[in-house]
Amino acid sequence: MAKDIQISASESKFILEALRQNYRLDGRSFDQFRNVDISFGKEYGDVTVVMGGTKVQCRISSSITHPYEDRPFEGLFLISTESSPMAGPQFENGNNTGDEEVLCARIIEKAVRRSGALDIEGLCIVAGSKCWAIRADVHFLDCDGGFIDASCIAVMTALLHYKKPDITVLGDRITVHPVDEREPVSLGILHIPICVTFSFFNPQDTEENIKGDSNAEIAIIDATLREELLRDGTLTVTLNKNREVVQVSKAGGLPMDALSLMENCHKAYTIAEKTTDQILEELKKDEKKRNKYAEILSSENNRES
Amino acid sequence: MSRLEIYSPEGLRLDGRRWNELRRFECSINTHAHAADGSSYLEQGNNKIITLVKGPQEPSNKSQVDTAKALLRVTVNLTKFSKSERSKSSHKNERRVLEMQTALVRTFNRNLMLHIYPRTLIDIEIHVLQQDGGIMGSLINGITLALIDAGIAMYDYISGVSVGLYDETPLLDTNTLEENAMSTVTLGVVGKSEKLSLLLVEDKIPLDRLESVLAIGIAGSHRIRDLMDKELRRRAEKRVASALAR
Amino acid sequence: MSEVITVVKRRGDFQKFGGESLVEEDEEGDVYMSDNEDGTYANRPQEKSVANSGMQIVTPGELVTDDPIWMRGHGTYFLDNMTYSSVAGTVSKVNRLLSVIPLKSRYSPETGDHVVGRVAEVGNKRWKVDIGGKQHAVLMLGSVNLPGGILRRKSESDELQMRSFLKEGDLLNAEVQSLFQDGSASLHTRSLKYGKLRDGQFCEVPSSLIVRSKNQTHNLPGNVTVVLGVNGFIWLRKTSKMDSARDAPSIGNASAAAKSGPTGAISLRSADDISITRLEEESSWQIYSDENDPSISNGIKKTICRYSNVIKALAFCEIGITQERIVNAYEASMVYSNVGSLIERDTMEAIGHDVLNGEKMRGLGN
Repeated sequence: MAKDIQISASESKFILEALRQNYRLDGRSFDQFRNVDISFGKEYGDVTVVMGGTKVQCRISSSITHPYEDRPFEGLFLISTESSPMAGPQFENGNNTGDEEVLCARIIEKAVRRSGALDIEGLCIVAGSKCWAIRADVHFLDCDGGFIDASCIAVMTALLHYKKPDITVLGDRITVHPVDEREPVSLGILHIPICVTFSFFNPQDTEENIKGDSNAEIAIIDATLREELLRDGTLTVTLNKNREVVQVSKAGGLPMDALSLMENCHKAYTIAEKTTDQILEELKKDEKKRNKYAEILSSENNRES
Repeated sequence: MSRLEIYSPEGLRLDGRRWNELRRFECSINTHAHAADGSSYLEQGNNKIITLVKGPQEPSNKSQVDTAKALLRVTVNLTKFSKSERSKSSHKNERRVLEMQTALVRTFNRNLMLHIYPRTLIDIEIHVLQQDGGIMGSLINGITLALIDAGIAMYDYISGVSVGLYDETPLLDTNTLEENAMSTVTLGVVGKSEKLSLLLVEDKIPLDRLESVLAIGIAGSHRIRDLMDKELRRRAEKRVASALAR
Repeated sequence: MSEVITVVKRRGDFQKFGGESLVEEDEEGDVYMSDNEDGTYANRPQEKSVANSGMQIVTPGELVTDDPIWMRGHGTYFLDNMTYSSVAGTVSKVNRLLSVIPLKSRYSPETGDHVVGRVAEVGNKRWKVDIGGKQHAVLMLGSVNLPGGILRRKSESDELQMRSFLKEGDLLNAEVQSLFQDGSASLHTRSLKYGKLRDGQFCEVPSSLIVRSKNQTHNLPGNVTVVLGVNGFIWLRKTSKMDSARDAPSIGNASAAAKSGPTGAISLRSADDISITRLEEESSWQIYSDENDPSISNGIKKTICRYSNVIKALAFCEIGITQERIVNAYEASMVYSNVGSLIERDTMEAIGHDVLNGEKMRGLGN
């Protein structure tokens, strides 16, 4: 995506040479994920994820519409990714057809939507005529690499966080209860997919990569923008805590040994596990914070729990 | 609707294959000698694909010039009649197709010796006449053949195949019915090595099963490489024989 | 091909788990490589196959040799001592230089090649000419003969009226003067046998089928001249006065030309010698005229068509194209009265067959 950003020859040489000697510019080890900082907005379903210099915001919204004719029992779920020059000069306004943008959007789509992370059958209100449409808008606010990973965390956290207004169905009549009238309800989340992106570098010649058997290719996790600019190939693995691979995308790039790819998948699993725990932890904290106010404002008497 | 028996207890699949059998694989090169520098026609089961390679040639657009290496461009045309039901859209700017094109460009970018063709454009045009699952693998095979036919220097073959996972059994070279019923993995393997240039998993697969799926996929790709190699050698020998007959 | 294609898991590094009863498939590649490792130089399998067919066919990624004495040429790449092929083609060993010649590829120009091209672009003091190569060739304004004689200086007005000499779409024949660093060619037309093409028809064949000879322009029976561009572009035209004049002395000069090397530089100059007296008249605006000779009869047009179609037939049969073969094929085509029927598949095959057979017979006769 960062086609217009040019990196000087000496700088790229410096970074690559450092990688060859097992160093990364930000001092991380090769398989270290950046710290994920999750913060919540005032409303449900507003999540901002910060990973190093990358900042992604996700906002969930819902409305009631008609389901698709061929899928009367399912609700609608749409993820839209927006990149704008706000994130960096390399992005064009309103143009999301660049290679990277398309790949990024497709991977998030596959990871979250096609894997059935959201229970879309639970969004059905009246079969064939009314259903919820859930929309996740992902905005890239700042770019320092790792958009896919950050977006995936943001979308999943936002979905977990979001609460849609409660409804009651009486025959054909549907009543939507405003949030301040009745406690809103959470969405049905079936599993939490986490994306981990690896960047590959080839320290030697292409000939060695293709024909040699040294397998000296370098794989680093969660590259920064500079590393992304210089990388020779990339692999995005999406997994959940149930040891299920949800999606893998290595769309060309540096050919990698199958065995080392498998190793990467296993590495990704530990990260996915950790990140999932962190997300749940943060959600719990936020819930507590909100409930604290709710308790204060509540006119109900305290009950023994 | 009765559920299809994807894999019978006797070990047979819907089309009578066993778990480790490829579909019928036929290919020919130089099928469109006048239209392109290199061309191939590939049938992998019911997938029918025409691939044309034009170039290396002068880029039509000056902005496409790269002074260090050739530029690779892939256009995939999924014809409207390629599935049993005629599709309404032309698929042209669908994200799925754009993603396929990007993946193909990136796969071959690394495998072609683009640096020996500076300031040129290599244009690959693919027409999918019929599709029946595992299309990405077939596209890779078609492109490899057409590029070799065009005489463009490359490091090695890339062969592609898709493998499904049914329960605990990997099924090699899936067709549409199988693809819809289970999760599949698409691989692009470099030559006879175990290096993967392309690896796509689109549905849930248990992490611990992935390895066995990759293993059979790599073996299948190697077999496809051999089949392509056989056809190329047959053509080459014919060519050399007619040259020697002078 | 209805045989079952069964795949068996390989027992490579990657294959860590057991289970199914596996039968290792006999893979050509593996056998081939292991033979290479223990064989001595003399009895390597590929050396044998060279001896058998005279040509060793390789495909991309295939190990050509593990002997470090070879210099690696085009169509190869190497890692340590191993030399691999990067194209599908035949191995060529010239002295210590090992290269793989692709069966088919775009024309790559070499200095001295006589090519036919089409003007693609008129630029600043130069024309860009499509010669069927990887990149367009350059024809500098200074490398062409301009009206008013060879020795005339190029003026600014010439620069402004470049389109009146050659414009987009015009066909010309030229010689490759030099090559640039990136492999693209610079052309010149500084001889009267080069320049704009008229009075005929264009025909294209794969460049690999054109056999380089000391002369690429031939007068054929039936008052037709063919310009066999080394790049596979062919021009067929009615024989002009200059063409017929060129033929006569070139026979006398044959020995001189043979000494002059492959570019035919001497014979080129000799062609100039005969016309130097007419230089003034020939170098007038007429050489850039767009008008065809009005006296071309239907008969000649038909003959040109017939030649064009037999060339297509030869190309279809992947037979190298030489003057002799064109003439033989032309004669063989005479049994078909309809010129248009020559490009039917069966007919093309029959003509190709006739030509090859005829050559074999003559070979036996000798």
